[in-house]
Amino acid sequence: ARAGCGSLFVLDQTKSGVALVGSWAWGDGLFDVTWSEANEHVLVAAGGDGSLQLWDTTNQNAPLRVVKEHAQEVYSVDWTQTRGENLLVSGSWDQTAKVWDQTLSRSLTTLRGHQGVIYSTIWSPHIPGCFASASGDGTLRIWDVNAGACRLAIPAHSAEVLSCDWCKYDQNIVATGSVDCSVCVWDLRNVQQAVNQLQGHTYAIRRVKFCPFRSTVLASCSYDFTVRFWDFSRTPPLLDSVEHHSEFVCGLDFNLHIPNQGICSYPVFVLQSENPIKVVEGSDFHLWICGF
Amino acid sequence: MKQEINKFPSRIGSDPDPPIQLVALMHQNNLYTQKLKGSKSPNPDLCGCFSSVMNRLRIISGHLCPAGSSELRRDLRSSACGSTAGCSGEDVVVVHGRRTAIGRAKRGGFKDTTPDELLSAVMTAVLTDVGLPPDKLGDVCVGNVLQPGAGALMARVAHFLSGFPETVPVYTVNRQCSSGLQALLNIAGAIRSRTIDLGLACGVESMTLRSMNNPGDLSSRLSDHQKARDCIIPMGLTSENVAERFGISREQQDSFSLSSHQKAARAQNSGRFDSEIVPVSVTLVDDEGRERQVTVSKDEGIRTGTTLAGLSKLRPAFKPDGSTTAGNSSQVSDGAAAVLLGRRSAVEALGLPVLGVLRASAVVGVPPDMMGIGPAVAIPAALQQAGLRLEDIDVFEINEAFASQAVFCVEKLGIPLEKVNPNGGAIALGHPLGCTGARQVVTLLNELRRRGKRAYGVVSMCIGTGMGAAAVFEYPGP
Repeated sequence: ARAGCGSLFVLDQTKSGVALVGSWAWGDGLFDVTWSEANEHVLVAAGGDGSLQLWDTTNQNAPLRVVKEHAQEVYSVDWTQTRGENLLVSGSWDQTAKVWDQTLSRSLTTLRGHQGVIYSTIWSPHIPGCFASASGDGTLRIWDVNAGACRLAIPAHSAEVLSCDWCKYDQNIVATGSVDCSVCVWDLRNVQQAVNQLQGHTYAIRRVKFCPFRSTVLASCSYDFTVRFWDFSRTPPLLDSVEHHSEFVCGLDFNLHIPNQGICSYPVFVLQSENPIKVVEGSDFHLWICGF
Repeated sequence: MKQEINKFPSRIGSDPDPPIQLVALMHQNNLYTQKLKGSKSPNPDLCGCFSSVMNRLRIISGHLCPAGSSELRRDLRSSACGSTAGCSGEDVVVVHGRRTAIGRAKRGGFKDTTPDELLSAVMTAVLTDVGLPPDKLGDVCVGNVLQPGAGALMARVAHFLSGFPETVPVYTVNRQCSSGLQALLNIAGAIRSRTIDLGLACGVESMTLRSMNNPGDLSSRLSDHQKARDCIIPMGLTSENVAERFGISREQQDSFSLSSHQKAARAQNSGRFDSEIVPVSVTLVDDEGRERQVTVSKDEGIRTGTTLAGLSKLRPAFKPDGSTTAGNSSQVSDGAAAVLLGRRSAVEALGLPVLGVLRASAVVGVPPDMMGIGPAVAIPAALQQAGLRLEDIDVFEINEAFASQAVFCVEKLGIPLEKVNPNGGAIALGHPLGCTGARQVVTLLNELRRRGKRAYGVVSMCIGTGMGAAAVFEYPGP
């Protein structure tokens, strides 16, 4: 890949291991990616240049569509999980979130309210037209896309909030991860106080993700090089701390098909190697199995 | 958990029909470091977006060093964002620096000049050049080795000779050959601790008037302790130890010395030192006792006619079968240098320029009987503090106390020779002990400015009794 560029990798988990399906270069860093829920070959990536790109993995060349409406880095993109909707939401450092149709023709609505950069935008798996956003302004916000309005602004942390995610089993539960090194679990019916504050990370938490199989289990990854698993209903809540990365752990996700399996990966800056394949094979990309 | 991971392939293998899962991920190819090295980047369109990259970096750095966090978190800072350090108002920056020419001790232009006069010349010149009234200085620190008490009195006298007001304090520091750099690090520390906003770091030595042969008062128990005993080994013998133990040949040492003279001669002839040298008018007394006024503005140690053959004929100076000679050792010299430092926010508020940024420093201990290896230990330590790699550095100013130890350090670290002392070192220019560190900083930053692009440089030296010091500077670009 060219110096200073971002790359999009598509990997296939096969019987013999993880294989590279393809990689695509982009002229600026790519900060987030989401699969289409309508077409198994389509995905959308969020660019440092303010663009969203619609990629087709069967097309070896350019993205199908590039749309550049954000004025600054797009740091998050998410495809709706709720039935019948095929919408995208993007969150940008220009402090706005935008909602898009699945062809990325143009944004359907722009949501303003955050006083800082937006790091994370995640659709509710239960409530149509509802997403949560996490921001550098320290708040978690819950948005109603149909009304074009912010329904809740929760001062979740006294530091930047880098990530948020919805519980898959309870439509009122949201988790946030912050620069203050803690994960907070919120019940949207009463946001005066967090349901639980999960402490243990020693540096900022880059991403939180709820388990698709267990309602009170979630995982977080951090600049402290670790991935931690939590059950917020238990005391103490920490289930496991995984220390197999030698760099910032910037992303993670659960395998929807195999319980207790997931993926976490990639340092965003300070890569050990210029060769992207090596990153896949190297020590900073891990598939993991976690027995709770 | 690690065992769980290792079990992963077998788990997949035992599954008769594992679902195939597509996973997508992104990465950025060293985006930050590549872009920040804008001028080096093969891709010119990356240079244009420097400010947006700085902004991106500021935001990501905020994840690690959030505002209001009092913890330094140095380990991660250095590995994460040190190599791409952005501008901060808290940075310790070099505003300006000057030096005198380096005179040959006992025979040169400064042989009848006291160190307070040399010091006063550079103190005055630095402040005059940038138009800073001396009462703005929070402190003045002077590196000196050979004056009694490191010249505390001499420094205060120089201070008044320079017209500095009595309200400005001054003190001296002696960490032998690194004293000039230590003075700079002391001032930097005072700026960092917010004790002062601006300070002057100096170094001065008259090796004509004071010699190295007074060890002071030492306990007789010295001989009971190997390391303590090693501290009084003559410096030349520590050079022989390095050459012997690490196999640095006479030919390597002589050839390194020749190169030092050639580089220094080229720099002098092309006028590279002109802007950094403060001409000093002095009274010189000749052998008949007649006085005359001269202005010293050229380094006196550079021998343009030196040849390898000439160097190889010199007799070993410290032991009969040794390899260290007068030709491949640093010269005994007189000189002074001064560097104005400040907190970036204060410097910018006064409208002063930023010539360099102090990124990191380290002082380390090494065995006293081979003190010359100091830079080989100190440089990696300073680079680690800065979060930089050896390859990130464009120029190394490594003091040439002896060719033996300089060659060893350069080879040990694997530094390309063309990056080392591009304008010559102490073998050609001379080594006025307390002055050298400050002189190296002035020469380094001038060289980086002459090259005209953003770059990093390192100043390093070995220290008698077994230490090494190194500091990393960034020239921010024109």
